[in-house]
Amino acid sequence: MSAFTEFDQERREINELLEQGYRIVNIEEDLDGARVKFMRSGPVAAVQVLQLLTADARKHVTTVLPGIQRTPEEAVESSV
Amino acid sequence: MADLRIELAGIKSPNPFWLASAPPTNTGYQVQRAFEAGWGGAVWKTLGDPIINTSSRFAAVHFNGQRVAGFNNIELITDRPLEVNLKEIYETKKRFPDHAVVASLMVEPKREKWHEIVKRVEDVGVDGLELNFGCPHGMAERGMGAASGQQPDLVEAQTYWVKEAATTPVIVKLTPNITDITVVARHAVKGGADAISMINTINSLAGVDIHTWNTIPHVGGQGAHGGYCGPAVKPIALSMVAECARDRGVGVPISGIGGISTWQDVVEFMLMGATGIQVCTAVMHHGFRIVEEMIDGLNNYLDDKGLASVTELTGKSVPKYSNWGDLDLNYKVVARINQDNCINCNKCHIACEDASHQCIDMLTNAQGKAVLQVREEDCVGCNLCSIVCPADGAIDMIALDNGAAPLTWNQRQQLIGNLNHTYSAAEVM
Ligand SMILES: Cc1cc2nc3c(=O)[nH]c(=O)nc-3n(C[C@H](O)[C@H](O)[C@H](O)COP(=O)(O)O)c2cc1C
Ligand code: SF4
Ligand code: SF4
Repeated sequence: MSAFTEFDQERREINELLEQGYRIVNIEEDLDGARVKFMRSGPVAAVQVLQLLTADARKHVTTVLPGIQRTPEEAVESSV
Repeated sequence: MADLRIELAGIKSPNPFWLASAPPTNTGYQVQRAFEAGWGGAVWKTLGDPIINTSSRFAAVHFNGQRVAGFNNIELITDRPLEVNLKEIYETKKRFPDHAVVASLMVEPKREKWHEIVKRVEDVGVDGLELNFGCPHGMAERGMGAASGQQPDLVEAQTYWVKEAATTPVIVKLTPNITDITVVARHAVKGGADAISMINTINSLAGVDIHTWNTIPHVGGQGAHGGYCGPAVKPIALSMVAECARDRGVGVPISGIGGISTWQDVVEFMLMGATGIQVCTAVMHHGFRIVEEMIDGLNNYLDDKGLASVTELTGKSVPKYSNWGDLDLNYKVVARINQDNCINCNKCHIACEDASHQCIDMLTNAQGKAVLQVREEDCVGCNLCSIVCPADGAIDMIALDNGAAPLTWNQRQQLIGNLNHTYSAAEVM
């Protein structure tokens, strides 16, 4: 698979979650890439985790960050 | 015609082209001929207790038919008595009062030794002093040159002793044989240096003769490490000049040295912060007259740029030189092959396939002709293909606007830090 296809797949997964109303709440990086935690508030809070492998996706995930930062209150609400 | 005059920490010179302290500045005869040829200044071959040299002394690294890509020497400082040098310095200065004559000095790290030589040298009317804390061989084994230049406190103390006695500007010449040149530069400034110059030569062994197993060069079958200079060291010298130029703790004028052989090299060093430059290897290779082309080239360049004085170049590229962490990760370039100029040698394909990201395809066009094409979405913009391409204009690196706002590594880490902090704060609430 070409590097772009790998990245594009990861980008699509990120964007799909964002479109579904998820927000990025936590990013942990280690030897295996970036573990990105997404949360969606609502009557039933939902959590999704993506393990990003490609450099471009790990870059992209922070490029989309500024607009989706949350307040601590929001985080509490959704971390239940 | 632009004004080529410079002033480095008070030392005036008709142009920025100085000879570095080395064999071309060994005698009055040589320095005066250099001034006649057009050189604006000269740093005299280092003065100190006269030494004894070995034979042989020099070696060069030739690369792919190009002679002297790098130059290696195990020569020491002057082997002539101080009084002989001083007489010739006096005569040279008398004949060329408007040219810069700087005395390079090296003595043992003792206060009275520095005071003595400074006084004797200044008495003959030099325009300034350059302290040689850089020679990496021979003198270093005796505790001088690079040996004292590698100890920041000793650089500071010796500069201070010189400043106690000196009435002319003091330039401290730094060794590159150190991890972070700015540390030593800052100590030189603390000691009172009016300017710094860099680089002296880099520790080196030019080669080993695979037939005789002797080192190159060797002295009767025995070798010792030498100092490397010439075109090969230019990138190292340029980065050291740039690091010092952008360091606020340094903040004194810089005389740039290392691998300079064309007027373009001079412009690069000045843009990166040098007030003037010095040359050794290129003169040893081609003679004093290379300065004529340097002067013409620099003049034309300044006219083309509409600059009235060469001093306007100094430091102009320094703000463009920062840390890796401040570079924009979202800036994106890709390679594009221009079929009109491509000679189908396949070097780019091989380079990208074997050493980069496997994104140059070999295709056949409608006319049955082999063509190379970059898959731009997979190209990481590493430049390798354009570096190995032998045909001018066959590969362009094109900047793409991907619509993403600039984002540096440092900003990214800050964003992630803030995000995770907010998250953990929320978790404990
Ligand atoms: C043969 C030789 C002798 C040198 N002797 C001295 C010296 O006596 N004092 C000094 O400060 N630098 C000395 N240098 C270093 C040069 O002044 C200069 O710093 C170095 O060669 C880098 O410049 P380049 O690449 O233009 O040669 C010498 C260099 C060479 C090649
Ligand atoms: S710039 Fe690098 S990745 Fe892009 S085509 Fe050239 S060699 Fe391949
Ligand atoms: S290296 Fe240059 S000339 Fe050779 S095939 Fe590639 S683009 Fe063409």
